[in-house]
Amino acid sequence: MPSRTLAVGRVSLEVRQGIELWLHGLIVLASIVVGLGVSVLLLVVSGIDVSNIFEEFIVFTFFDSAGLADVLLEWAPLILVGLSAAVAFRVQFWNIGIEGQFVWGAIGTTVVMIYDIGPGWIQIYLMFLGGIIGGMAWIAVPAFLRLRLQVNEIISTLLLNYIAALFVLNQLFGAWQDPAAVYYKTAQFADYQRLPLIGWGQIHVGLFIALAAALIVWLVTERSRFGAYMKFVGSNPGMALASGIPVTLTILVAVMLSGSLSGLGGYLVASGQEYALTIYVAIGYGFSGIVIAFLARNNPAAVVVVSFLMAGLYVGGESIQVFYGLPEALIGLIQSIIVICAVGSEFFVRYRVRWMR
Amino acid sequence: MAHALQMTDIVKSFDGRMALDRAEFCADWGEVHGLLGENGAGKTSLMNVLCGLYRPDAGRMSIDGVEHRIEGPSHARALGIGMVHQHFKLVQPFTIAENVMLANPQKSWRKGVATVSEGIARLSDELGFEIDPAARIDRISVAEQQRVEIVKVLMGGARLLILDEPTSVLTDEEAARLLRTIQALARRGACVILITHKLREVLAHADRVTVMRSGRTVATVAARGTSAADLARMMVGDAPVDDTEPGQSGPVRLEISDLTARRDDGVSTVRGLSLTVRSGQIYGLAGVGGNGQTELAEVLMGVRAPETGHIGLDGSDITALHPKRRRALGIRNVPADRSAYGLAQELSVGDNYASTRLGSGSFGTLAWVSRRTIGAQTSAALKDFEIQGAAVDTSVRLLSGGNAQKLVLARELHGEPAVIVAHSPTHGLDVRACAAVHDHLRAARDFGAAVLLISEDLDEVLNLSDVVGVINRGAIVGELGRPADRHRVGELMLGHA
Repeated sequence: MPSRTLAVGRVSLEVRQGIELWLHGLIVLASIVVGLGVSVLLLVVSGIDVSNIFEEFIVFTFFDSAGLADVLLEWAPLILVGLSAAVAFRVQFWNIGIEGQFVWGAIGTTVVMIYDIGPGWIQIYLMFLGGIIGGMAWIAVPAFLRLRLQVNEIISTLLLNYIAALFVLNQLFGAWQDPAAVYYKTAQFADYQRLPLIGWGQIHVGLFIALAAALIVWLVTERSRFGAYMKFVGSNPGMALASGIPVTLTILVAVMLSGSLSGLGGYLVASGQEYALTIYVAIGYGFSGIVIAFLARNNPAAVVVVSFLMAGLYVGGESIQVFYGLPEALIGLIQSIIVICAVGSEFFVRYRVRWMR
Repeated sequence: MAHALQMTDIVKSFDGRMALDRAEFCADWGEVHGLLGENGAGKTSLMNVLCGLYRPDAGRMSIDGVEHRIEGPSHARALGIGMVHQHFKLVQPFTIAENVMLANPQKSWRKGVATVSEGIARLSDELGFEIDPAARIDRISVAEQQRVEIVKVLMGGARLLILDEPTSVLTDEEAARLLRTIQALARRGACVILITHKLREVLAHADRVTVMRSGRTVATVAARGTSAADLARMMVGDAPVDDTEPGQSGPVRLEISDLTARRDDGVSTVRGLSLTVRSGQIYGLAGVGGNGQTELAEVLMGVRAPETGHIGLDGSDITALHPKRRRALGIRNVPADRSAYGLAQELSVGDNYASTRLGSGSFGTLAWVSRRTIGAQTSAALKDFEIQGAAVDTSVRLLSGGNAQKLVLARELHGEPAVIVAHSPTHGLDVRACAAVHDHLRAARDFGAAVLLISEDLDEVLNLSDVVGVINRGAIVGELGRPADRHRVGELMLGHA
């Protein structure tokens, strides 16, 4: 019989049979505090006076109208990439290409502007569709390769990120370049091509689109028959097939949904924040999505919460960068430390640790 | 003189099932000792006790007349006991020398590699085979990997060597070479225990043979002067067959003709198999494990495509149908490997119970799966099948083997199945759970289902079946009516007839 206890030196690790929600939350919270502590230590070592750090990082981010508006603005695309990763991971399709699909969502949006498709009033809706189609198109290739030819999707989705980014560069240095712009981007979207602001900071209706997407994804994964199929395919594909579940179709639909959610993220940023296609449109979103889905254990409701915290981490990081005049790399380092600590808490969720005498 | 090894009254049970029931074993230096028995007879369990992997519930062990309580694998190693497992424990991308070093730690890496390589060269020279210590494990053949395992154990100073089914993965020629090596080891004074179910092998290469059956030692005999038929009789025993009513068989329901199928590694394991099962009949397929049963079951489930041949249900061809369509036609499966095809371990009892009927709309619509319906139906099934200590939302991973199997049965026997393919349905279950599974299968047959019972447990096949077929090397080698002659089945299974 395999033992469920593992001894490493004087530490004994016991596999937990289950964990209460409060303990799980406490462990994650404690590890985030540890991450913050390490980050503060890092700042002290760098010779920075950290007496105001709490105020800068927490109060001005979450308890200040302008700060909170920035967080909410950042929240929307993070919800979408988090959902995108969660949906794909649920059927064990390791979509590392969220960034590429995000870029293609933005391209699909921009195409409507560049070629001035349809009457003006309908263009914002066409852009919505363009975003979804762009994201789906970019994931269709790895999905086909995986399901038909057993090509590992980790590699194919990852490499397609670079192709997407370079394609955007090619267009921005060429046909789609706005000659009037200072740096490389397309012309600005017209007013009717932009997502309407709701009148609080830069927040636009994209936030409601993202929240609605989260609700729909939650209903699909947690309540619909298709969601039940996804659970079986993700948990045991052999058993799912033997039970008569259409495994290939389930994976295909889930993957397409994942691509369209990423594409929708690209639409939100292009039509709601940048008002143009730029080379920076998707930077960082792909890996954020993966981290969010991991921390949320692929649960759509948890994705909404985790992506809010993640948005706070980004906005807070930017504000201390400005306040202390810190290099960008240091901020990235701090953000990564906090995320790694949160991810590392998984270990304590999984095992009960005991000291042996 | 004291025996090299003496094991007395060894008892070991798992989940209330006796794997070893006062087993005895005795071997001497300088002999090759065959340990023979059917699957599940307790051979491997007994040897796992010897090499410290299992701690026995009771019993005594002595080596060279000195009594020992073996505390664990490293203690067994220190006593000179080494086991070569059926599934090799080698690290694929490492070299042979590195693997040997992993089991026999050296002080420094570089010097260690040199020392170990030297030792490997010397040993392989003595034993008459060649291996290159610098070759990587994933680049060498299975036979060579096995030699690495043997060398690994011998370098650790083992004098008492246990080999678990060593020839099952080898070609005939490789097997012959291995057996010669084993004899050479014994001549140098070692004690080699050869676990196997191949009669011919032990008769040709062992000095003495111990036969085990259902956890007990039947006898220890000298190989010379014993016939294969004697050994087969000892292996299968003389247990009486139950006196239950035979089934009232109807028309032919399941028809398999000329089926061939390959294993994942490309080896053809089902080779021209044909059989028919009637409605209201239990067809018991007896055979030693690894003769194509697994692939046959997978082909019938619809998760493995056959190479050639046809499967017919009530006269229509279902060879190419998706599992979903097969289920709709009433074909149900009780797979041998529950974790591969039976249950999703991380999901709940209710989810697993509902899995096969989600698509038919039994549990709500496309947009809304009714948890309440699932809960109610699952609770009823838990009650009907006496699955105690489990609730609808219990994770399946927490169920005992018996309860998990009863859950599979509850799901698969729901409604009126036309065909049930049950593969080793009682493997690892205790007596009570076994009886429950058997009752359910009989009841399904009495309702008119055609039951194909694939089992490596001969008692089970003989007790339950209306017709017994014997599978050997992927084909049916004989069919017997009820009551089937145990010795005849044993001979066909073991393939020397």
